[in-house]
Amino acid sequence: MAAVFFFIAGLGAIAGAIGVVTTRNPFYAVLALVGHLLSLAALFLLLRAEFVAAAQVVVYAGAVMVLYVFVVAYVGGQADPVRVAGGPALKVGAVVFAALLAIELFIAVLGSGLKALDSEGAPYEAGFGTPGAIGELFLTRFLFPFEAASFLLLIAAVGAVVLARRRGGLVGGDPRDLAPVDVPRPLGTGTMREAVSGQVGTPAELAEPPVTAPAGDERGGW
Amino acid sequence: MISLPFADVTYYEPWWVQIIKAIVIFAVGLQLVPVVLVVERKLLGRFQHRYGPNRVGPFGALQPLADIVKLATKEQFRPRTSIGWLFAIAPVISILTAVAALSLVPFGGVVDIFGTDVGLYGVDVSIGPLYLFAFGAVAFYGIMLGGWSSGSKYSFLGSMRAAAQLISYEVSQGLALVGVVMTAGTLSMSGIVEAQEGMWYVIPQFVGFIIFLTASFAETNRPPFDLVEADAELVGGYNTEYGGGRFASYFFAEYLNVVVVSGIVVTVFFGGWLLPFGIDTPGWLQPFVVLFKMTFFIVFFIWIRATLPRLRYDQLMSFGWKVLLPLATLNALVTAIVVVATD
Repeated sequence: MAAVFFFIAGLGAIAGAIGVVTTRNPFYAVLALVGHLLSLAALFLLLRAEFVAAAQVVVYAGAVMVLYVFVVAYVGGQADPVRVAGGPALKVGAVVFAALLAIELFIAVLGSGLKALDSEGAPYEAGFGTPGAIGELFLTRFLFPFEAASFLLLIAAVGAVVLARRRGGLVGGDPRDLAPVDVPRPLGTGTMREAVSGQVGTPAELAEPPVTAPAGDERGGW
Repeated sequence: MISLPFADVTYYEPWWVQIIKAIVIFAVGLQLVPVVLVVERKLLGRFQHRYGPNRVGPFGALQPLADIVKLATKEQFRPRTSIGWLFAIAPVISILTAVAALSLVPFGGVVDIFGTDVGLYGVDVSIGPLYLFAFGAVAFYGIMLGGWSSGSKYSFLGSMRAAAQLISYEVSQGLALVGVVMTAGTLSMSGIVEAQEGMWYVIPQFVGFIIFLTASFAETNRPPFDLVEADAELVGGYNTEYGGGRFASYFFAEYLNVVVVSGIVVTVFFGGWLLPFGIDTPGWLQPFVVLFKMTFFIVFFIWIRATLPRLRYDQLMSFGWKVLLPLATLNALVTAIVVVATD
């Protein structure tokens, strides 16, 4: 029974991962990633790590990917497939790095994993993977990484608030109404528009051209 | 014996008990939805000084049946600009997650039925509320994909609002439960109920209760937080382009979510199957106690819908992030201090 679930979840994870890199439409790529993450959660469940599985779904599928879907649905139109960026050097580099990663994985699997294939696997202790057990590990053995990670997240959250305020936040109009400190911002340092379209410039230079449907696009215009 | 990969259960039930339990709980949930529907329409009628449905059956009680027949026999069609397969599976995701969340509500403790120990709940997972939030996270995709794949502006706007709203209020909802979890010392739903012997958590965790209830209104897209399907602005929101059985699925999922949230509130804050004043609840009575308490909250949901006007979008956001979230954090903090101090 567990083997059937394992193969379903494993195939889902692999198919999702392949879908992410091969799909040209960014929206479907994001959906494939969601499918991949849900399959990973199922694999965690099979490993009796129910807390990790739930955290995986809540944090990745429920928060991170929601943001991706949100942004892609808003700004990445579907008539706008992902283009391969960069020149030939980047393409060669990508292949080389992928090959290096594959070799590394093979070494890791051949070196350690194959011997375990025929065995029963690590023994299961009662309470493994429960929130209680994980919480105890966090506060004893992994106290420092845990605290460091929470500080990192806190800094990121504060940074997000500061950035949003500097750009005038969600509210239109004079940004100085919201910003407590007026820090001049160099161009090309991370507005959502710059990240998505790659255009860099002052708001006046980037004035929105009127939206027109590309020829032959049935869904265009909205 | 198949070892269950999930659910750290303290006893094992035979597989046929689990299948029967699943069918019974699903059937009860399925039957609750039309009842909630007709009760809502009748009550809304009374609140608004009119009769409400009163033509089909005695006192209009068969109105949901007529609605279901009408929806089931309606022609299926979709806009030319929609994306077929996403348009078809989105309502399925919604309904699937709503039913899955229902399995978390405990309708009673472990009782002896014909010599077999049966827990009167779908599953009693060691991750409790996290299971609920995991399915809540997936439920978002039902609404989001439905709105996006419709290829319509109104649907798209509705699903975008859903995205922002669900993320914003899920945080407060989760933090509101942290206080209860710390007080009970367990994440298991039946464990939380058993920890309420003597005092229901609505008293020590009153702030958490208010925050959870408010956030739940937003999570279920019920008024006054129904911007996702604000009829006056968006025609019908994310489900504008849906009709027939697929619309019925969305509708069903929304009302089932109301039932589930009522069940969770009863479980977490109102002692689940426990009766007040330490009266011992016999095993056969426990599901009825839970259902009775749930009825109260379902009616409360309807009452709020009839009473409060819809919030503006920016009000919704600033309320969620600037009022509810700090309050929930403060509640968790104070609870942690009290739990440690009295330990």
